[in-house]
Amino acid sequence: MSEYVKLAHGAGGKQTSELIEKVFKAHFANPEFTADDAAVLNVGDGRIAMSTDGFIVSPFEFPGGNIGKLSICGTVNDLACMGAQPLYMTCAFVIEEGFPLEKLEMIAASMEKTAAEVGVKIVAGDTKVAGKGQVDNVFITTTGVGRLTEGFATSGAFAKPGDKIIVTGDVGRHGCTILLEREDLGIEADIKSDCAPLWNTVKAMMDATSDIHVIRDATRGGVGTVLYEIAAESNVGVRLEATQVPVDPAVAGVCGMLGLDPLYLANEGTMVVIAPAESADKVLEALRGDKYGQKAAVIGEITDVMPGSVVVRTEIGTETLLPQPGGELLPRIC
Amino acid sequence: MEEKKLTAREIIESYDGPKLRIMEVCGTHTHEIFRLGIRSLLPENVELISGPGCPVCVTPVGFIDMALQLALEKECVICTFGDLIRVPGSEMSLADARAKGAVVKIVYTATDALDYAKENPDKQVVFLSVGFETTTPGSCLAVKKAKEEGVQNFSILTANKTMPNAYQALKGSADAFLYPGHVNAITGEDDCRKLAEEGVSGVIAGFTAKELLTALAVTIRKCQQGEPFFVNCYPRVVTEKGNIPSKKIIEEIMEPCDSIWRGLGNISMSGLKLREEYAAFDAQRKFDIPETEGTPNPGCRCGEVLQGKCKPADCPLFGKVCTPLHPVGACMVSNEGSCSAYYQYQM
Repeated sequence: MSEYVKLAHGAGGKQTSELIEKVFKAHFANPEFTADDAAVLNVGDGRIAMSTDGFIVSPFEFPGGNIGKLSICGTVNDLACMGAQPLYMTCAFVIEEGFPLEKLEMIAASMEKTAAEVGVKIVAGDTKVAGKGQVDNVFITTTGVGRLTEGFATSGAFAKPGDKIIVTGDVGRHGCTILLEREDLGIEADIKSDCAPLWNTVKAMMDATSDIHVIRDATRGGVGTVLYEIAAESNVGVRLEATQVPVDPAVAGVCGMLGLDPLYLANEGTMVVIAPAESADKVLEALRGDKYGQKAAVIGEITDVMPGSVVVRTEIGTETLLPQPGGELLPRIC
Repeated sequence: MEEKKLTAREIIESYDGPKLRIMEVCGTHTHEIFRLGIRSLLPENVELISGPGCPVCVTPVGFIDMALQLALEKECVICTFGDLIRVPGSEMSLADARAKGAVVKIVYTATDALDYAKENPDKQVVFLSVGFETTTPGSCLAVKKAKEEGVQNFSILTANKTMPNAYQALKGSADAFLYPGHVNAITGEDDCRKLAEEGVSGVIAGFTAKELLTALAVTIRKCQQGEPFFVNCYPRVVTEKGNIPSKKIIEEIMEPCDSIWRGLGNISMSGLKLREEYAAFDAQRKFDIPETEGTPNPGCRCGEVLQGKCKPADCPLFGKVCTPLHPVGACMVSNEGSCSAYYQYQM
């Protein structure tokens, strides 16, 4: 590992895993320690899921959301991915001296509204104020616990050849929104972050079928990174149909100009779902009946060809590899 | 009897003539050709070679070393296109320097760097001016504005390059070139037409699947006819005279000079530097930075890769110590670099 912490170590890709593996896992390892989005814990007779997430997005307000909404969505979605109903959350604020109270109020209100949407209660918190310049406006950390649904188990290691790959919405909108807000690119595009709490969406899928193998939140690193992770964890191949991946035309336009692939841009309200072909239609139907799943689509399938790799069938019918994710794409998007 | 009309794809797939080597010169072409899986359509006797058209790849080690001196010793704020920050210099990259406290900002145009300089008059801001005719006009515009507005704390470190003499230098490496459509959008058709008169063949290619397949089919057909040729296969963007205002501003602010290309060495009159009237904006002169040659990793074969003399996988470092996450050579850094593309698509 290189000697210093670099921004790429926080990008959610290979280098983040390297840091976790070599530093944190070395010190924290225990039977419950997980690299998944949330840990599964036995408490009394029941099982709960627990997850925590820090938010440092810059700017703290962006089209489609703000750091408060994001801090609820991030943890709610991490729990939802495990099939856990989010019950309680705590939040810790680090606020920069001089931050306008009115903005803090706005952030709290939006957290309240987002939490209410999925019925999660914010039950405790912590407030710290740091001197001017020691943090950038406001950083939030949220922790949540959720109740696991009996008879429902998903994991990145459960994908099987023949399974269909579904995305719950169009891809890359959050990453693109932040990019346009942050960088002075002079590109004006009507793009809003997809930031959304997805417990109700996941619940709708689970009500439609219990036969779902993988649910993953496609945040940092985007759908492409998630697919590579699943291919490795399940030791399977992935075949994507390039023309089936839903991308907002404005996002596609911006990506075209900047040489970015929407498959590698972050989402905050879009998940990757992998389910056997027989239940894929039910999942799709359930998603399309939910307000956050209108653009859901089957984008490919799991194969037994080239395990660990993601192959793309291109617009001209050729097959090529999806390049592996890596490096510092865009820091501080969540 | 009327000949059956073939599609571009059929022309490519059915070619069974003598071995053809076609060099795509533009990094974006390299990338799109991989992304679209076009190599899998080519018959065995058509070979695509990735040439030196990625500005990051051809920027020599010494340039990075000079930028590092500006950042670390002269404490300048370095503004650069993103890819360049990961290119290894003799001892480190700009990303390494940033972790050690150097201020390195990613910008998308030179004028962003100028704006940053105006907002921070207490800092010396240096823009790393690399690239071909596509990015050079932006650097020139920033320098012109800086002079007009009397901005004292802005300068550029130049490694700008032009293609025509590079084609001459690469003449023996390929039977024909796919000329970089974006560069020709600025320069127009004249340079390529002249090259054809001098025996260098090529077509200007666009970037969509249809445009790339068309350009390849035309190249194959023209090669079969045996005469040196030039065809503009990207007429929806490239005009005969190109982008005249852009060409004018380059001419006004910069003048040709010899230039070192990573791996290719010095190519006579293939670079651009600031004219004498704009010397105050030349970071190398302003901060008295000596011309630095730099020491590339001796195992790195980027130079031969750029000339199509070897494939990335022939390099002993490729995929072992040199990967996109830990690049040793410049071709592994940018998404558009040949080594990076070969690595990512596992060719």
